[in-house]
Amino acid sequence: MDVRALLLVGGGTKSGHEDNIGGIPIAYLDVLGLPIVERVLQRLRRFGVCAATLISERARPEWFGLHARLNADMPYVHAQEGAFWQTAENTFNQYAEGGAELVIAVRIGPYAEVDYEELIQHHLDHRCPVTMAVDSEGASLDIFVLNASRRNDAASLFRNELQKLRTECKSFCAPGYVNRLNTAADLRCLALDALLHKNSISPVGREIKPGIWVAKSARIHRKARVVAPAFIGAYSNVRAAALITRSTVIEHHAEVDCGTVVEDSTVLPYTYVGAGLDVMHSVVGLRRLSHLVRNVEVEISDRKLVGMPAVNVVSRLAGSTAALFAFLPKQIYRGFFAPHHECSADITESLGQQAAALKIPATEAPDSGPETPEFPSNLAVVRRYGEQ
Amino acid sequence: MESSKRPVVVKRMPEKMNLKQARDFFKEVQPFLNSDRPQIVFDMSRVRHIDAAGVDVLLACMRTIVRRDGDLKLAALSPQAAVVLELTRTGRLFEIYDTSGAAVKSFSSFLPNAIKHFYPHPAHEALSMVSPEVFVGDDEDQERPDRAA
Repeated sequence: MDVRALLLVGGGTKSGHEDNIGGIPIAYLDVLGLPIVERVLQRLRRFGVCAATLISERARPEWFGLHARLNADMPYVHAQEGAFWQTAENTFNQYAEGGAELVIAVRIGPYAEVDYEELIQHHLDHRCPVTMAVDSEGASLDIFVLNASRRNDAASLFRNELQKLRTECKSFCAPGYVNRLNTAADLRCLALDALLHKNSISPVGREIKPGIWVAKSARIHRKARVVAPAFIGAYSNVRAAALITRSTVIEHHAEVDCGTVVEDSTVLPYTYVGAGLDVMHSVVGLRRLSHLVRNVEVEISDRKLVGMPAVNVVSRLAGSTAALFAFLPKQIYRGFFAPHHECSADITESLGQQAAALKIPATEAPDSGPETPEFPSNLAVVRRYGEQ
Repeated sequence: MESSKRPVVVKRMPEKMNLKQARDFFKEVQPFLNSDRPQIVFDMSRVRHIDAAGVDVLLACMRTIVRRDGDLKLAALSPQAAVVLELTRTGRLFEIYDTSGAAVKSFSSFLPNAIKHFYPHPAHEALSMVSPEVFVGDDEDQERPDRAA
């Protein structure tokens, strides 16, 4: 049987949630080394779908080098603004003319592990023009099977933005794993469930120790500590004294700098996490941090905290080279002009000495600053301590 | 037991705390920091953007105040500020209160809230009996137990 698929990314959401992070649709973000859209396509292929087309509201995505990472066999159609559903309808018609018998339309949207074989069988058994997949609570999963010959039903479905069927049909209840992927918390939940084997997503990488997956060319400093379960993506870099713990996911080309603790978090691709930070219960990347416990998204413009290296290899290389050449002059400058830090004295000597604050009263100190009427400095000095 | 009579300065922080604003803010609060034993509360309810420079200024304020035997407390943290303080591990250096009022009130209480939490009421007396010189001071001015420790 000729079964083909339409993968739809965009077209608004029924629930009104923003299904994107930092302007990037969640469908394009990576989960354990592969974009979600790619994982959905792989699942469809496993069930015998012979061709698929990705229809997106955005131009061919450049984020995270995604265009190079999506399956080359999958045609990409950029829908013009306001013509998303029209494009889907046109592509459906092309499939019908090309000899397809059934077309599966999947909006991502929710991530659902549907048994497509059972879905198709259900569709054929009930002889419906359109079959909708629903979860155990009866909510739509935005997955539909359409007879290629029933163009009017397909047109009606797409024109109603997958919200309404032309004719009443018996829905297919999919009992498998479902994640709505509305927010960053859902993305984190999907990765966490994958690490805990609650869904069928498998990390792309080698399991170097039980529960620790490392993808190709990832660098982990020997003084860094990784606690299972964890995933370290391709070309990522975990520097010295960093701690990766509690089901943390570091996606590809991410960098965790020295001494940073990443706990129960997802670091998105091409994200630099600065040195000495505590990243907890968060999804961090795209110059923002979504804190899942506080339920707040914070934009972080400071590159020392959360940065985003260039996606382009040449730009990254140029930046690294410039940083390397700037390092030596900067250190020389610091050596000559930086303020001298006094070494802390021995503790036993310090205990015997009088505290600096007691040596000169604040009123006599040259740097005591201007006196303010609402905060007179001469009053408190008279009785500095109770015993005096 | 009577509390300290020294004034408490409450300063509301600006919405943005990047390099420039942080410098301006530091200049603005410097007279208060340089007074003797300053008691200062920073109200962070309006803060929406705070970066490393903003955090640095908080630490600089704290350092100056501690040198002068005063205390700096933070109040009414906006979610954004709370996230950045947690991220940079600086939140644990400050006493943080839900409201400015609570922070101001904490200066006048005999024991800081942290101590009260660990030593419920009956233990206060036992604790003060163990080391009376730490807790019992002058009527107006008492030594802080946490600092003495």
